[in-house]
Amino acid sequence: MTTNARTLLPALGAILLAAGCAGQPAGDAPGAITVDASDDACTLSATSAPAGTIRFDITNKGSQVTEFYLYGEGDRIISEVENIGPGLNRQLVAEVPQGGKYTTACKPGMRGDGIRGDFTVTGTAAAQGGAAAQAVTDYKRYVDEQADELKARTTQFIAAVKAGDVAQAKQLYAQARIPWERIEPVAESFGDLDPRMDGREADLEPGQQFTGFHRLEKDLWVTGPQPDTPAIADQLLADVDQLVAQTRTVELTPSGAANGAKELLDEVATGKVTGEEEIFSHTDLWDFKANVDGARQVVTALRPVLTEKDPKLVATLDEKFAAVDALLARYQVGDGYRLYTELTQEQVKELAAAVDALSEPLSKTAGVVAR
Amino acid sequence: MLFSNALIGLREGLEAVLVVSILVAFLVRTERRRALPLVWAGVGVAVALSVGLGAVLTYTAATLSFEAQEAFGGIASIIAVAFVTGMIFWMRRAGRTLAAQLRGQLDEALQLGPVAVATVAFLAVAREGLETAVFFFSSVQSAGGGTVLPLVGFLIGITISILLGWLLYAGAIKVNLSKFFTVTGVLLVFVAAGVFAYGVHDLQEASLLPGLHALAFDVSEYVPPNSWYGALLKGIFNFSPQTTVLEAVVWGGYVVIVLALFLRPHRGAARPVQTRTGDAK
Repeated sequence: MTTNARTLLPALGAILLAAGCAGQPAGDAPGAITVDASDDACTLSATSAPAGTIRFDITNKGSQVTEFYLYGEGDRIISEVENIGPGLNRQLVAEVPQGGKYTTACKPGMRGDGIRGDFTVTGTAAAQGGAAAQAVTDYKRYVDEQADELKARTTQFIAAVKAGDVAQAKQLYAQARIPWERIEPVAESFGDLDPRMDGREADLEPGQQFTGFHRLEKDLWVTGPQPDTPAIADQLLADVDQLVAQTRTVELTPSGAANGAKELLDEVATGKVTGEEEIFSHTDLWDFKANVDGARQVVTALRPVLTEKDPKLVATLDEKFAAVDALLARYQVGDGYRLYTELTQEQVKELAAAVDALSEPLSKTAGVVAR
Repeated sequence: MLFSNALIGLREGLEAVLVVSILVAFLVRTERRRALPLVWAGVGVAVALSVGLGAVLTYTAATLSFEAQEAFGGIASIIAVAFVTGMIFWMRRAGRTLAAQLRGQLDEALQLGPVAVATVAFLAVAREGLETAVFFFSSVQSAGGGTVLPLVGFLIGITISILLGWLLYAGAIKVNLSKFFTVTGVLLVFVAAGVFAYGVHDLQEASLLPGLHALAFDVSEYVPPNSWYGALLKGIFNFSPQTTVLEAVVWGGYVVIVLALFLRPHRGAARPVQTRTGDAK
């Protein structure tokens, strides 16, 4: 027995090690399909997903212990999670490289065939073309993270606004906008959400109501809270919820992401460098930094693709990003930045020049990726 | 909500507590108390490992693939069976030695090495530990979100399982030694058979073994897994109301072979000890 023990212990250790190494990034399961499992229903937020890593976020809202299964053909178990107690939330990560027909099942009481539903997996994970597909996945994950962050920070901001705590709300305002500004091109793709959430007073058309972030900005910095401020705040939070939900389902492409990066720089050039975006709070540099970070994230995700196709472009981008960063760092104050009104004419020019210098190579990325 | 989660705690807890309490009772009864720290070390390592891995899986950017989880549970179960089988025969031999009033030679008779003692304890807990830890953390998370009931229920279940383990231990301390060996030995045979079948089921789910859908019987209508008796049966004997043919064959084969060997008459020459682990396969 002693000899057995000595040989078996390392073996078990090896299993554990292998198991540990099988870990893969999941984060807070951005883009997860939510599953509401009750005693007599099994409701999925989506019944199809692209091939690859599919995440399910299962909440047991019933009174019995439940399980959740993803089956392939012939009831082959692709993945399962057992022992989801009532009131609990568990995550299931399934690797599904092949498209096709699948079946999901909740098993309240852990018995029988469960409450089944069809689940469609589209495409094949490998066929999308390794590096480019990976880039999109990586960037999508970033977008989802930022959407969650936006929701968290806006919730705090709105709470302060509704509590009438103007000082606190002012502090949270620029913070809440950071995730928004990082993924703005994606946010803008959802029709009227963007104007409602991020419209500027100067851009309003006759008859349009002034709502969203900038309306609250004006209330906080200029007019003081108005009778309809809480309603505007509630609307913004509801819009954020809708935005988060829609980002979950958005389909991205490598060149689409690259174009988005360019748009972010255009945003900087037309809004932030001119001080028009945050006309009341003058926190333009917060947005500036967020736009640049968002663009950089696209480049980071696309890096393997870009490096393969145009290594010189990657080097140029790195250099220009670094230049913008260095310049921005000069105006950093604590966690935040100097107000736009505190910048001299010369300094604004300098920032604009650095942005233009970055914008030029960045505009080439979409073409390089599509090559 | 309280009840269902308590049943999970009870079931998962029992699977570990049962073997550990028998192990402890045995060491105490045979005055091998100095081996006790090894048992607790094995338990401690398994708990730490499970909780650590569970926390990592729950709170960081990591997940274990389904196959890896099932393969881990399955392989750990089958290794555990090998060890528990070894223990069953070790106890049988020790009982015989003791019955022959050879207390002086006890140490020589108890050849189960310290590493093995720790390993049995480790495996008994680690087998279900990861799953249990993940469950624990998800109930902690939901407690953060407002519902403490699942967490409370789970802790009640674990507490009851430890209590049952302690009662078993206390009872085992009272009975006379040769009866103790026979009773716990037989109990362990059924426990190990259940663990064996369960391990096979895990490997079937991981598609490493075939026949997941070939059911030998399905009594889940009569013994629902979420009833208290279903939980007890599962916790103690790993009884599954939906048993596959392969599980049933493995369970039956193990019980018949090991029980026959365990209960065979003591008289006659000592049987070769080396074949013991072979019997478990």
